[in-house]
Amino acid sequence: MMLRGKRNSALFLMVFFLLSFFVLKVDFAQQVVQEEQNKVPQAEENAEKIVPSPANIKESTGIYIFLAWIWIAIFVLIYILRLKIKEVDRLNNLRFLSVEKK
Amino acid sequence: MSKRNAKAGIQSWFDERFGLSTITKFLREKKIPQHRHSLWYYTGSAILLFFAIQVITGFMLIFYYNPTLEEANKSVGRIMTEVPLGWIIRSIHSWAASFMIAFVFIHLLSIWLTKSYREPRELTWMSGVFLLCVSLALGFTGYLLPWDDLSLSATKVGTDIPRSIPVVGAWVTRLLRGGEDVTGDTLTRFFGFHVCILPVFIFILLAVHIYLVQKLGMSLPLGDDNKKEKIKELPFWPNFVYRESVVWLLLLGILFTVAIFLPPSLEKAADLMAPAPEGIRPEWYFLFLFQTLKIFPAKILFINGDTLAILLISMAFIFFFFLPLIDNKPAEKRGKVITLMAYVFIVFFVVMTVWSLL
Repeated sequence: MMLRGKRNSALFLMVFFLLSFFVLKVDFAQQVVQEEQNKVPQAEENAEKIVPSPANIKESTGIYIFLAWIWIAIFVLIYILRLKIKEVDRLNNLRFLSVEKK
Repeated sequence: MSKRNAKAGIQSWFDERFGLSTITKFLREKKIPQHRHSLWYYTGSAILLFFAIQVITGFMLIFYYNPTLEEANKSVGRIMTEVPLGWIIRSIHSWAASFMIAFVFIHLLSIWLTKSYREPRELTWMSGVFLLCVSLALGFTGYLLPWDDLSLSATKVGTDIPRSIPVVGAWVTRLLRGGEDVTGDTLTRFFGFHVCILPVFIFILLAVHIYLVQKLGMSLPLGDDNKKEKIKELPFWPNFVYRESVVWLLLLGILFTVAIFLPPSLEKAADLMAPAPEGIRPEWYFLFLFQTLKIFPAKILFINGDTLAILLISMAFIFFFFLPLIDNKPAEKRGKVITLMAYVFIVFFVVMTVWSLL
């Protein structure tokens, strides 16, 4: 009974959606003044493609060192987290076993 | 007063006012099932991670971005060339968006394949589908903001697609563009959508989605609901949080690396009067739709090809959205047809994406 109700609701919503393609005629879209649309941007000033990269050798070295430090920090943190996971799992298992015994 | 007493005093002061102990108690008591599909549980939190990164980097970019016709492209150029490490922040923002959408797709597909949307999680699925839509809308609106040739042309194509919908199509296109064509008004409108309207929606949907996940608990693999006592469970805090942290750290590392080595470039400022450049392509997550629309002929019998394509895509989306109501079998049923449809969708997505890149 419940399933049929859900199916009917889904069918109704689908029909409603499809009908909305053909019945809605209200225009809520904002009408923009034509003069504003015809404005042409001043694109000439920035006519070059910008390919991002470090500005100089100092910046690029700094970035690669930063990246290396990030990965070192990540591996150290993962190592610490692995130890913590082992510890909390062991505690959890002990508690689990003690509950089982009861 | 000792340091410990002072800390306890502050904690109890906040606890009395916010009721924090209820939340911490809930987190301690919350259990995560452990089974062969547990890996999929991490995709949800990965989405949250990338969303948080986007919010933070978005705040940084907004200080320097200027959403006007004359200044949009120049301000992005300044972010990339003058602002210290601005190009990395922009790159992280852009890549985090791609990663987030990729994980939303993976998350939804994993739920589709494991049938976790079935009763009582129908609304969780539907809020997830809405989140996918809002994420895609964020990607679409963000694509125009650099206001270069490619983004302008892609937005023209993208906002022109709804025009094929009968009756309401032209209205939707005008609503998106703020007029008949893509202009400075479209840029302002997209900026408003990108930084205000869509984030509000995403926050509300996330709150609903997370609440439902917490209330209904994690789903179990097919057929495991009946043998619940045999499923091993892990406390959310700290066991699962530590595991999640490992995943988050790895994802952060990958994101930073990709963002540094593959930063997005900036084309020259868009010229509204210039012809569309060659090779207009939307972001990768729209390519399968873009290619689907492209392969439809102009006329099929007496119906407009684009209209038919939009109608079919809409119907597929409705099927996707109402999947929990269509496939409302008991949890232990496999639902092979639905699984097959998921695989067909994956193949279709990959084939169409690759085809549009060729």
